[in-house]
Formats: sequence, structure tokens, C-alpha cells
Amino acid sequence: MTGSTIIFYLLAALTLVSGVLSVTTRHIFRAAIYLLFTLIGIAGIYFWMQYEFIAAVQIVVYAGGIAVLIIFSIFLTQQAGEKLPKQKMERKIFSALAVFCGFALTMVQVLQHEFPVSVAPVTSPSVNDIGRQMLNVEESGFALPFEVISMLLLAAMVGCIVIAMREKRENLNTEQKNIKRIPNDT
Amino acid sequence: MNAGKYIRDIWNGFTSLLKGMKRTGYYFTHHKEIITQQYPDNRNDLKLPERFKGEVVMPHNEKNEHRCTGCQACELACPNGSIKVIFKNELTPEGKKKKAIDKLVYHLELCTMCNLCVEACPSDAIKMAQTFEHSVFDRNKLTKILNKPESKIMDGVE
Amino acid sequence: MWSFSDIANNIHNWLSNQFNTTWTMIFEMLIAGVCVIGLFALLGLVLVIMERKVSAWMQIRLGPNRVGPKGMFQSLADTVKLMVKEGMTPWGADKTLFNLAPFIAMIVAMLLLAPIAFASNFQLWDINIGVLYVSAVSSLSVISILMAGWASNNKYSLLGAMRSGAQIVSYELSAGLSILAIIVLTGDLRFSTIIASQADGWWIFKGHIPVIIAFITFIIAVTAETNRAPFDMAEAESELTAGFHTEYSGMKFALFFLAEYVNVFIVCAIGATLFLGGPMPLHIGLWEGFNHAMDYIPSSVWFFGKTFFLIFLIMWFRWTFPRLRIDQLLRLEWKYLLPISMINLLLITAMAILKWHF
Repeated sequence: MTGSTIIFYLLAALTLVSGVLSVTTRHIFRAAIYLLFTLIGIAGIYFWMQYEFIAAVQIVVYAGGIAVLIIFSIFLTQQAGEKLPKQKMERKIFSALAVFCGFALTMVQVLQHEFPVSVAPVTSPSVNDIGRQMLNVEESGFALPFEVISMLLLAAMVGCIVIAMREKRENLNTEQKNIKRIPNDT
Repeated sequence: MNAGKYIRDIWNGFTSLLKGMKRTGYYFTHHKEIITQQYPDNRNDLKLPERFKGEVVMPHNEKNEHRCTGCQACELACPNGSIKVIFKNELTPEGKKKKAIDKLVYHLELCTMCNLCVEACPSDAIKMAQTFEHSVFDRNKLTKILNKPESKIMDGVE
Repeated sequence: MWSFSDIANNIHNWLSNQFNTTWTMIFEMLIAGVCVIGLFALLGLVLVIMERKVSAWMQIRLGPNRVGPKGMFQSLADTVKLMVKEGMTPWGADKTLFNLAPFIAMIVAMLLLAPIAFASNFQLWDINIGVLYVSAVSSLSVISILMAGWASNNKYSLLGAMRSGAQIVSYELSAGLSILAIIVLTGDLRFSTIIASQADGWWIFKGHIPVIIAFITFIIAVTAETNRAPFDMAEAESELTAGFHTEYSGMKFALFFLAEYVNVFIVCAIGATLFLGGPMPLHIGLWEGFNHAMDYIPSSVWFFGKTFFLIFLIMWFRWTFPRLRIDQLLRLEWKYLLPISMINLLLITAMAILKWHF
């Protein structure tokens, strides 16, 4: 057992333990924090595999972005510090079953799949190459997914703006109605 | 919001922030502007500002005379009742009775050093002193009588 | 002439002569860890006394002047006081998260120290995505604040945490964009490449006005990201007593306090590396003699000099400007800094393509 394997098992243990804790804890905020640790553990495994770019993106997007978003929505909606109600037995059984099925499916796939050793030349993960690959329109390029995702983000942004604007107009209307109503009442 | 105003806002913001930084930068580099006094160390040669107000006193001249006529203007002017004038009747050389102060009681523990009594005094009998080490073990010691015993009103002060 | 990189190489050679590869690595990691912790302690002491003295002189005061010559050992005395103080955990707090939060803050600060070059060729980890790594890991620092604020079970703490969350998430954008400006000019994320690209002149001089605008945006954004006045909404003594660390005391408070100062040091070090050439000496065009004289100053002195200059600048902001309100803070980011830095990035991209920079 080399040092590298020990580090891998430590990271895997962190990921798995905090993953299990995040579904078993009854404090919703703790669940979010444990989820964050899971995501950081996965980022650590990427670092271990020397995919630094993916690891950094994992931290930026999941740990720094989505986890913070989740924590914020907890702050804004939940009663802080209160325990969630206990789940019913049938729910527990069914979710355990679902987890088991998913696990079995993944394991079957992993065990059946023969992982071929890649013969493609090793590309250096420099920023230049990543940028070129991202906008490559030829085969094995990522131009299409890149553009599709940017369209999705644009649509989401436009949607946000539309939602925010409509709310504002309604507020204005009600305010105007209020202003009109006051002289009539008096 | 038009573009001109936007750019002007940024410019104004920057210049005003830089003005503030220039001031603090000046103080940072000019240590002689420091006004902090190292109090217990320089107790002997303490320099207090001219308008520092420590307590109300009544100056007496060398013949033990003060300028207070007992007009009660200070007592009326005081917002929290820290001055009380107590009278006595005095005989003038001509044999007439004259009202004069017996005691001018000053409650330092109530005083806020607002200076209104000094401004109200028509005959400049009281003024603000610069002493400030007022701590005592007994609260009663803060009730002071401003006129000295056996003191009289100065001649010519009505 | 000996330098930091020579010392590091000598230690490495000596260790690899004595032990095999694994043990060499373990010992080097231990030495690096001890050095980082030592640097943290030293930075805490120096920056705290520096802040108190700077603030005092800017407010026409004397500042600490009792412990040691001119009060220079004041922060040592403070450290002793914080260490012997009782670290309380409130009754209603979520104990695990409450006690975990300061350590997360500290770990994030430690992780950020890894890719910083303290002298030429002296770096713990020259990771190939250096700048991205820094901006990724620094986005984790908000987690510790949110954890502390929520776990304290206190309204002030929660409000402070919410504010700082909104603040850090939004100011990360303009900080990232202003860092991107330098990456566009350099074409690489690696810190050593960025430093090497400034051998003939710092980017702030080579890049004309757009880089200066990027620098100003960067300084404003990192001031906000480290939660320092005028953007100290998370603490805001006069409104929220102490914000997210209201309930903390003793060593746990000290960790938050230290993490704040270490974060300030780190963002200033990154600013100095990106815009002011890091350990590179000041060179002016064709003045051979001047350039030669500048080369004699060790690179670590250059690095720490620039970093402390930026730290002083941030302290200067703190003790000059009044605190912003939360809506003013968000308006400054979304209506001013973000559009400006976007247009600025466009300009810099055009400049980099047309090779207008020196």
C-alpha cells in the first residue's frame, strides 16, 4: 500500500461518510454542510488524479456556487435549528431500495465494462489546450456542449429577469390602486 | 440613467474618495498633529486646551472677596439643578439690611459642564476651571460650596 | 548570494541524501507545514500591530504604546490573553458546526497559501491552474462564515452571515474578471509564468490604462471579499455587535481574527503577483545602471514590500471610508464594478490580440 493509495482511501472515506451523514442527519443545514464536504472530497479525488482544472471547476461550481445557493435557500425558507420530522417506515424502505438498485446497476455496469487503455496521445492540461478544446468544432471538440450550456445559462438569466420584472410591475399596479382608493374612501 | 451622468458619478466618487484618503494620508505622515496626551506620565506639564471645562469655581481676590451678588441667574440657568444659592441678611455700614449670599452650593455630581451658568452670570462671578481629577471615595465630597468662608462681595459690584 | 530557493534546494538535497523518496517528501511536507504555521503566527502578530498603529496615526492618535518599545509587543500580549481565555460554546448552538467553523476558515486560508511565490523560484506548489485554484478555494471561505453564523443560533450572527454571503458571492465576479484581464495578457494560469512574463516590466506599467482600471477593480473587490471596512457588513460592530463571530471567544475567535488577516495578506500577495510583478524587481526601460542596482535587492524583499504596500492601501481604505449600506454595496458591484470590468476585459482582449501592450 503506497502513500498514494492511502490518500485515495482517505478521500473516498471522507466522501462516503459525509454523503451518508448528509442523508441521515435530521438537521437540514447540517445536511447541506455534509453535502459540501462530499463535493470537496470529490474535488480532492480529482486533485489526486491530477485533473487540477476539473477539480478547481468542481470547487467553484459545486462547493462555491451550488452549496452556497442551497445554504442560502435554507436560510430564507427553513426555520433554522429545527429538526425535520421523522420519515415514515415505508418511505425509508423504498428509498433504501432505490439506493440499492442504483448501486447495483452502477456496479454491474462498472464490473461488466472493460476499461480499454487509451491510446490517444496525452494532452497537456494547460489552459491554452483547454481553451482550444473547448471551442474546437472538429471531432472530439466541445464546441457544441459549450454553446448549448451557454444558451441554457442565457435562457435562465432571461427567465430570472422576466420573473423579477413582472413582480415589480404588479407591485406598482397595486400601489397605484391603493393611491386611487384612498381619496374615494375618505 | 444616461451615460454622461454615469461617468460623472464614477468620477465624482473617485475624486471625493481620494480627497478623504489625502486627509488621512496627511495625518499618517505628520505625527506632530497627534493630539493624544500621555496623561499620567505628563501630569506635571499637562497642556489642556483653552476651552476645556472641568468644574465651576468662584474666583476670589486676595482680600477674600468675590463678585457674586446672589441674583440666582445661574441657578435658573442650570438645566439639572446643580447650583443652589442660599441667602443671608447682612448689615451694610449704613445700618441697612442687605441680601447677600450665604452659600453657593454646587453639586459637581450633577453637573454636565454645559457652561450655561457661566454665560448667565451678569457679574462674571463664576467661571470654569480646568481641574479634572475629581474622583473621591465619598459622594458627599462632590457637593461643594463655592464661596470661601468669611468672603464678602467685592466693592462696586451690584 | 544565498536566497530562499537556494535554501530550499539545499534542504531538499540533504534530505534526499539521507532518506528515500517517500520519507524525503514526508519530511518536506512537515517542514513546509511548520513554516506555514510559523508564517501565519508571524503575520497575525505583524498585521495586527500594523493595523493598530496605522489606524491610530490616521486618526491623530498614538495607538498602543505601553507593551515593549513604542507598544510593538502589544499583539504578543493580546495573543497570550486570547490563548488563556475560556472558549465558550453557547447553550443553544449547534456544537459540531460551531466548533468546526473557525478551523474551516483557517484551513481555507492555509490552502490559499500554497501557490504563492514568496521569492523567485520559491513556491510550495506551482500548480498549473494557479490563479483558478486561488479563486476556487477562496470561494470556500464564505462557507465558514455561513457555518459560524448559523451554528451560533443568534440573530446577529445569522444576519452577518447572510450579508457576507451575498457580498462575497457578488464581489467574486468582479475580482475574477479583473484577474482574467491579466490572464488574457499572459496566456497562462500558472503563477511562475505570470511572474516570468513581468521580467521586463510589471503589468500595471505595461498594460496602459485598462490594466490600471483592472487593478483598481481588483483592490475594491478583494477588500469586499475579505469583509473589511468599508465593506465590513458581516461584522458591522455598530449594527450587529460583531456579526458572524458574536458568540465566539478565546482561541476560536482568534482563529477567525487570524484568518481575516491572513486572507488580507493572501489577496494582497496575489494582487502584487498579478499586477506588480511579484518577486520581480522594478526595471525602467533602458536605464541599465538603475536596473542593475534594483537587481541587487533580493526578490523576497520585493515581494513582501509590494504585498505590504497593498496591505497598507487596504488599511488606508479601512480607516478613511465610512461603511456602506447593504443596498449601496450591491449597487456598487452590479451597476458599477461589474459592467466596468466587463468592458475593461473586452478592451484588454483587443489590446492583447493587437499586441498594443509593451
